Amino acid sequence: MTGEPAVPETALGLVAQAGGLVPRGTRVEVFNRIYWVFLILGTLVGIVVISYMLWKAYKYRDTGERPAEDEDEDDDRPTLGELPTGSGGGKKLFLSFALSTIIVVSLILWTYGTLLYVEGKTTQDSADQIEVTVEGYQFGWRFIYPNGHRSTTLRVPEDKTVKLKVTSTDVFHNFGIPELKVKSDAIPGQETETWFVAEETGNYTAKCYELCGSGHSYMQADVIVMEQSEYQDWYSQTTPAPEENDSGPESGEGESTETGGESE
Amino acid sequence: MTDDTPDDGSIETDGGHATEELPAGEDHDDHGLPPMSSVKRWFLTTNHKDIGILYIGTALFFLVFGGILALLMRIQLWAPRAPGEGLLGPLAYNQAVSAHGLLMVFWFISPFAFGFANYVVPLQIGAKDLAFPRLNALSYWLYLFSGLLFGVSFFQKATFSGGWTMYAPLNIPAYTPEVGATTAILALVMFVASVTVSSVNFLTTMHRWRAEDLRLRDLPLFSSSILLTVWMMLFAFAALLAALIVLSADRLLGTTYFVTQEGGSLLWAHLFWFFGHPEVYIVFFPALGVMAEVFQTFTGKRIVGRKWFVAAMVLVALQSFVVWMHHMFLTAINLQIKTLFMATTIGISLPFDLMVFALIYTLIKGRIRFTTPFLFSFGALLLFIIGGITGVFLGAVVLDYEFRGTYWVVAHFHYVMVGGATALFGALYYWYPKITGKMYDEFLGKVHFALYFVGFNLLYFPMFLAWQTPRRVFDYNPAYTPWHRLATIGGFILAVSFLVMFYNLYRSLQTGADADDNPWEYSSTAEWAISSPPPLENFPGLPSYKGGKLNFVSKVTGGATDGGEVTDGGTAVATAAGAGHGTAAATAHEEEHASHASFWPFLLSLAGFLTFVGVSGINKGGLYTPLAAVGGLGVAGSLVGMAREPFTVPSPELAEKWPFDGVEDMKLGMWIFLASDVVLFGAFIGSYLFMRVAEGWRNWHHLIPADHVVMPGLINTYLLLTSSFAVVLAMVAAERGSNKGVVASLVATLALGIGFLINKGIEWQHLFHVHSEAFPEGWELSTNIASSTFYLTTGLHGAHVIVGLLITLYMIPRAWRGAYSGNDKPIEYFGLYWHFVDIVWLFLFPLFYIL
Ligand code: HEM
Ligand SMILES: [Cu+2]
Ligand SMILES: [Cu+2]
Repeated sequence: MTGEPAVPETALGLVAQAGGLVPRGTRVEVFNRIYWVFLILGTLVGIVVISYMLWKAYKYRDTGERPAEDEDEDDDRPTLGELPTGSGGGKKLFLSFALSTIIVVSLILWTYGTLLYVEGKTTQDSADQIEVTVEGYQFGWRFIYPNGHRSTTLRVPEDKTVKLKVTSTDVFHNFGIPELKVKSDAIPGQETETWFVAEETGNYTAKCYELCGSGHSYMQADVIVMEQSEYQDWYSQTTPAPEENDSGPESGEGESTETGGESE
Repeated sequence: MTDDTPDDGSIETDGGHATEELPAGEDHDDHGLPPMSSVKRWFLTTNHKDIGILYIGTALFFLVFGGILALLMRIQLWAPRAPGEGLLGPLAYNQAVSAHGLLMVFWFISPFAFGFANYVVPLQIGAKDLAFPRLNALSYWLYLFSGLLFGVSFFQKATFSGGWTMYAPLNIPAYTPEVGATTAILALVMFVASVTVSSVNFLTTMHRWRAEDLRLRDLPLFSSSILLTVWMMLFAFAALLAALIVLSADRLLGTTYFVTQEGGSLLWAHLFWFFGHPEVYIVFFPALGVMAEVFQTFTGKRIVGRKWFVAAMVLVALQSFVVWMHHMFLTAINLQIKTLFMATTIGISLPFDLMVFALIYTLIKGRIRFTTPFLFSFGALLLFIIGGITGVFLGAVVLDYEFRGTYWVVAHFHYVMVGGATALFGALYYWYPKITGKMYDEFLGKVHFALYFVGFNLLYFPMFLAWQTPRRVFDYNPAYTPWHRLATIGGFILAVSFLVMFYNLYRSLQTGADADDNPWEYSSTAEWAISSPPPLENFPGLPSYKGGKLNFVSKVTGGATDGGEVTDGGTAVATAAGAGHGTAAATAHEEEHASHASFWPFLLSLAGFLTFVGVSGINKGGLYTPLAAVGGLGVAGSLVGMAREPFTVPSPELAEKWPFDGVEDMKLGMWIFLASDVVLFGAFIGSYLFMRVAEGWRNWHHLIPADHVVMPGLINTYLLLTSSFAVVLAMVAAERGSNKGVVASLVATLALGIGFLINKGIEWQHLFHVHSEAFPEGWELSTNIASSTFYLTTGLHGAHVIVGLLITLYMIPRAWRGAYSGNDKPIEYFGLYWHFVDIVWLFLFPLFYIL
């Protein structure tokens, strides 16, 4: 991987990054690690809390008995027209509150280290990466390479950091490749940056994640991850001219009024 | 704002008798209000309980409306679809998604909660009604007609199809050209009007109409939750209103905020989410209040850590305004801001943990009865826990990057929002006996719950499993087909559960057993201390918490009401339990008679509806223009009619009013309204600054012609300041009882205000028609972003001036007839407004003329 992550900007980050606990690597790896930790912990907490709640509700169900000797406790029940007050149990309340706070805050802090890492990579430049501009339009994606080559299919080499500059020529879209766990808003007049690394060659699909009009459901593009040498060969043959025949069977195409063209 | 104080002196009396004793449904004269069986009553009523019922019924109608759209979507999602396949075409699907979201969030959930708030809050705080009953009716009718307006949009080619978040620039006519899309946005504007009126009303009431010794912190939890909700609504909806006004101007007047490449799209996101995040809590808080209330009653235990529960709610309400950018983690905002908003987001989730634990611990040592309302509240808590845990995932920014725009989000917010709605359905059963005087069928209630709970989880849980499906699409990875099918099946089970509910509600009304005043053991709030249904004016005497417990005092000790108050010897004090009937007669003719009927709110809203339908297609000409004109006339006429109608609202003398003891209802109402107006203008000014920074602060000057000079603005500053002074003079004259002085000062105000408008008109005309090299076509609204912000912001201010002048115009003849001599209050209220308009100008002038 390229270089060190960006210097953490805050003490929080430092703490979180200590000890190599912080997930790094491709975005897929990062996501998977954090997601599974969250999922397991979340499921656990959910099961504990909900079971506890169900158990207590069952345990204290009203059996209809009104024990007479229990007069004292009966006095403690709410009565009509009283000024509202609370009942005790504050200690337990605060204990559980503190516990949940610790869990949530430490989880988030832990992921914050990764956030710094992910964000750091976006701003970093290195020779060993490629950069592609992504333009969303109703309803498709256009990929523009540094040499001016344009295509509606994204071809990238495997195992290399691919940096994307994402924008839109019309409405708000959102560019994402689910298998590669990369996503970024495509906003007209703005450029957002993100990156990914594809570890395996093959075909993937890029999709739109922001409602953008009638063709939104089909606003997809093919993503082809090639071996590095293969990619080099392909790239050296590309020309600045737009390449129209590469769009593949784009189902959305039939819907859209025009496929781009009028970008500045 | 209209005038609800009895300033015309012609108070209706109807030989007052003990109407309080009888259930409001009885067939006799309720202070000029026809009986409940009469259709006419429902158009006339200003009574909070009637209006509560109207709200609840109407909200349920919109639930069905939005629900049918949801079912259509679920049918479409039965399988991944190629274009044109299935029930809905692509555009139809987008309309269904958008309309479903808008209807459920705006026209169902909140109004449903506010139906209960309308009915129950005055009872819980010991008020006879809301502080401004006619405005309450107005809120309702504006709400209903805004919903109907939304319905109309479906018949104007297509309704809005850009999602409930209405992102720019998809929301402008270049991309959504249909007239119906404009109508939907105007419907939202009308809805916001309803919300604002209602917020002012609730806040005034809850701050000034509480029973004696019922301190703010003693409010029952349902009322507390509503109070905080309303505060949030007041400010959040003002921001939404700003966004909607700008959007309407872009769509109808050709301003260019959202088409502007630099910043237009992000401006919308900021404005919308500044509203949108508090909205999440606005939707959820009432449900939380219901849960707390229902838990206390059916566990027979007071809530654990009540103080902390309330503190947590206050904290959330405040914090809700500083988390909005967590909806924008994938835009180009920088790391520092992301970090900040990640922190506030986590911060705001923590108080909810506390509230959840408080509810759970309340179960312990309880005497829990699994009635239908409790089942729904308990279920709601369970669903909310799942929604909350899945929300923590979204708080981790790295995960949010991947969840954004997927079904994870869809599943999460349905668990939270529909989870909240679950508690509200519990509320429906909880208060059904109070509202109707009949018991619902417990067995059918439980059947409803069982179907509902199973259907709910079948519907939404699979969405977590199919979370990689992008939102708002109907073509998805076939691998997820089974999950989506399960969800569709769940959706239909959920729908069936509501058939059971409607049947139950309807049948029980016909054949249900009569409900006791207090059908629930261990209930504690005041609504259970009076009959079911409660009498028109709620209480058998004046409610008071003196001595730490609810009493009804039958003698008015305050004494300052100007009506004929009759004391009938002796202070009969009844304790709460069983007071419902016995002592009512004692208070029969205690005070001047409150009015309960007005036709104007309905007419005003109807006219507003017609106006908006006309305006939606005003650029298309045809019938639209005359319709807008007719509607506009109707609005003006209804406003005058409403202002002239004698309508008595006796403000309670013996009431807890902290912290607003020193001000009257009208004045407080005006303050609150102006507070929301501050946010409105703040959002406009913020938008201007945002767009200017995006454009480049200095570059801005290239967008403005040299003819745009300081002078007209300066003259207008002087004119307005002088006019403010004239209003002060009018007040002084009124105090001294000089009719002529009042008239002269008001005429001066009017003249200065008209001078302001004329000056502005000349300035605008000149700018429209400049012919410079840079602006050969003139400098119009649509010329560029600088002209758009200039005309729209100062135009909004100009509209405020016009409203002020219309009020002046209305006041002058009344002043001539001596209405204000010795009573300068109305002039003072008007003055507050007018000074505010002035102050706004003092901000606008430097921003738009000097900098
Ligand atoms: C209180 C009730 C409900 C509320 C407040 C609610 C709210 C929402 C909102 C805000 C959206 C987002 C709309 C958008 O993306 O613009 C939405 C989407 C959706 N809702 Fe609901 N909803 C409710 C009930 C239901 C029910 C009962 C169903 C199913 C029968 C349902 C199914 C859906 C579906 C399928 C979507 C589309 C998801 C997407 O593609 O983004 N909702 N809902
Ligand atoms: Cu899209
Ligand atoms: Cu939010």
